[in-house]
Amino acid sequence: MGKLKEAVIAKEKSLKERSCYEDALLFKEQDPIQFEVLYTKLVHSVLNAREVAALVSASPVVREMGECVFGLYTAEGDAICLSVGLMLHIHTMSRMIKWMLMNDYEEKVGIREGDYFFNNDPYIGGTHSPDQLIVTPIFCEGELVGWAGGVTHVPETGAVEPGGLPASATSRFHEGLILPCVRIAENEEIKKDLEVFVSRNVRTPEWWLLDNRAKIAGCRMIRDEVKKLVAEYGLDYYAATSHEYIEDTMRATKTKAKSVLFPGRYRAVAISGVGRRLLIHVPLEMTVGRDGQLSCDFEGLSSPGAHAQNNTLPATEGVFMCAAIQHLFYDSRYNSGSLYAMKLNIPEGTVCNPPNIFYATGLLSPSIATGIVWNDCLSRAYYAKGYREEVFAPNVVTVGMHCGGIDQYGRMFGAFNMEASSCGTGARGVLDGLDTAYALWNPEADMGDAEVWEQILPIVWLGRGIQPDSGGFGKFRGGNGIESLYFVANTNQAEMGSFGGRLPIFTSAGIMGAYPGSRTYRNIVQDTDLKARIADRLPLPHYEGEMPDKPEIVRLLNGKAELMVGRYAARPVKEYDVYYQTNGSGGGFGDPIERDPQLVRQDVANKVTLLSTVERVYGVALDSTTLEVDLEKTGALRAAIRQSRLKRGIPAKQYIAQERERLLSGDLTKVARDLYDDILKISPKFAGEFREFWDLPEGYLPSDVSDQKTPGGSV
Amino acid sequence: MAISYPKDLLRDLLEGNLSPERIWEIQHAPKDSDRCDKVVSLEQERVPWSERIIVCLQEHLYIVEKRGERIIKCSCGHEFGDYRTNWKESALVYERNPQDGEVYFHTRAADPDFMVLREFYCPGCGSQLEVEAVPPGYPFIFSFLPDLDS
Ligand SMILES: [Zn+2]
Repeated sequence: MGKLKEAVIAKEKSLKERSCYEDALLFKEQDPIQFEVLYTKLVHSVLNAREVAALVSASPVVREMGECVFGLYTAEGDAICLSVGLMLHIHTMSRMIKWMLMNDYEEKVGIREGDYFFNNDPYIGGTHSPDQLIVTPIFCEGELVGWAGGVTHVPETGAVEPGGLPASATSRFHEGLILPCVRIAENEEIKKDLEVFVSRNVRTPEWWLLDNRAKIAGCRMIRDEVKKLVAEYGLDYYAATSHEYIEDTMRATKTKAKSVLFPGRYRAVAISGVGRRLLIHVPLEMTVGRDGQLSCDFEGLSSPGAHAQNNTLPATEGVFMCAAIQHLFYDSRYNSGSLYAMKLNIPEGTVCNPPNIFYATGLLSPSIATGIVWNDCLSRAYYAKGYREEVFAPNVVTVGMHCGGIDQYGRMFGAFNMEASSCGTGARGVLDGLDTAYALWNPEADMGDAEVWEQILPIVWLGRGIQPDSGGFGKFRGGNGIESLYFVANTNQAEMGSFGGRLPIFTSAGIMGAYPGSRTYRNIVQDTDLKARIADRLPLPHYEGEMPDKPEIVRLLNGKAELMVGRYAARPVKEYDVYYQTNGSGGGFGDPIERDPQLVRQDVANKVTLLSTVERVYGVALDSTTLEVDLEKTGALRAAIRQSRLKRGIPAKQYIAQERERLLSGDLTKVARDLYDDILKISPKFAGEFREFWDLPEGYLPSDVSDQKTPGGSV
Repeated sequence: MAISYPKDLLRDLLEGNLSPERIWEIQHAPKDSDRCDKVVSLEQERVPWSERIIVCLQEHLYIVEKRGERIIKCSCGHEFGDYRTNWKESALVYERNPQDGEVYFHTRAADPDFMVLREFYCPGCGSQLEVEAVPPGYPFIFSFLPDLDS
């Protein structure tokens, strides 16, 4: 057995049996200042690598939008430190390195200085095929002492649809080129034959190939810096401290949880949707122990299926830890220690940990949902401790536009424009969420310049803005998402679609009395008169406008309009076809009728809340011209809203009895029935609680009692 | 040095009166370890009743000590019963069709075949305490069961 494989096994054993990574922090205790100085230098090396790599990359997704991350790993593949950026890969690169070691790469493939290994197989490491990892070993004095690694999101993979995130995939074999832990460079030299292979298998090869150079450049910078530091501090010191940093983080993780979270049991549920009529269940039971031990149990996850929303274990761990670092461990070291300190149960055989590599994994909704339910549980744990500034209502499952075909220069292309990185955030406990600012999977993201994309892609923006009232209504509202309106320019040979939007459901719940953010959707108008309107200088659509149910593109354009829900595969488009996309908004916090009327007024003035919403949702009386708040009338409106709630609300016991009858008679929609049939079978725990709550007989399954006549959803 | 904030500042924080810049500073500073006690005492001053607050469960709801029992109580005084039972089971419920046009524009709302909004109100004051967005037939979510003996 290879020496490093033995080390991987030994570390796993230590974590399992003794719940620690190292027994002691000898070097930290000996000289804590030197310990920190070396760490800071290591962090600088990964940050530098990220900055430089972004300049080497040709893809706007990396250059402009920061979809990349670099990290430094121990010899056995545990993360020591990570740059900012796509932080969900803190553990996915670790998984890749360990996979190579466990599969005898030391002996059967050979690992030498100047080798670079590439992986985009999400079952090994990474999250989906566009997330592409490169690692290189670091040798000092002839010994492998660590690994440098980098990830970029490459927005085209040669999949069945352009852009790398094919919503129509039903298995891995629709998801384009997948290279599992392949040596793409030797002796610092990229293999030409592999480049030929890539260039003939993806629509925009330069992104993939230049991103490889970017990652190799970054990895080399880290490697060279570590070698210098080893020369300075000594190999023994480096080898020992690099492990102590991880143990140190494990300890800090527990201390942090103990000091800021109220002990107890927390529960939250997120629902994600697939295709036209399949719901996916993502429940979390989080417990905070008195000693700060955090346990996160996802028992009750749905089964995997023939759709693009299965997520691998590395992906789920990665996205979940990305959320965990942002919402709780933001002030500790970004490394494997925080993951090892938590007890995570992501049951095998579920949508977040499929039983084999067949299942398609492009769309990360279920793993993003693990972050969403974490936001929910954690917000309550902070709240009970009094730290209301840390309340962060659930965020959204992001969606976005992708396109491909022949571009305005006559070249083949495929792309996803990553605007989805600028959704609205969940509300905070003392402030509104941020508009168009954030995606859970990359806290450093940027929406990018429309003009840069317009140079590259055959699309032109008619408008890009904040979608008013899309954030969840609340005392503090969720952040509003981004809306974009594009038209196809200078090509008649293209296809366009969305990797999301999916079912007509909410994904970002509101908490403590607030509503979820709007669902996402897109509109398409084909065979339009846009060209003539531009020539005649007639008004053009730019946004959804003041009447969301009658959007500007429908009111101002002639053509074939369609609201696309649940049908998202790329479809052929022609010049002057118009496409509208929303990207998602955060959930709110608190009862909307407790919102400060001045905040409502300010939102209307800033055009992020529509006048028609103010009275209906917030119970605020606002003069439509001066925007003055009438406080007396506002008080009366709000009192009336309370009265109407008391009138329409029924006692929970009565509601439960009614619902029970519905369940017993099988009066459930088909989507709900399918959901419960699946999770009642897959999770005895959920089944027990479901039947107990509704007081249903042992063995109850909705499909057994259903008359099969109930409607299956209108989509 | 341990950080501690004056009560007035914390009151402003709870009431949403601090600027985003000041909140940012608080978020970026180490946490004040006496926060929980101070927030409980501030909340105790705000409620019109006198039972001792043990923990602020969520907006409007507190676990209080009453005649040796620990019960959930609304800021308005309405009592929900033992904290170990989900308070939602003693609330008023309204199952909203998200597409009813009263809250969301039609195109932005979930389809009720897929997901409904379950609004929970306090029977005493009509405050909206929680909104669940769940498929029809989903059991009530028991969001938080604190470990009070810690
Ligand atoms: Zn009340």
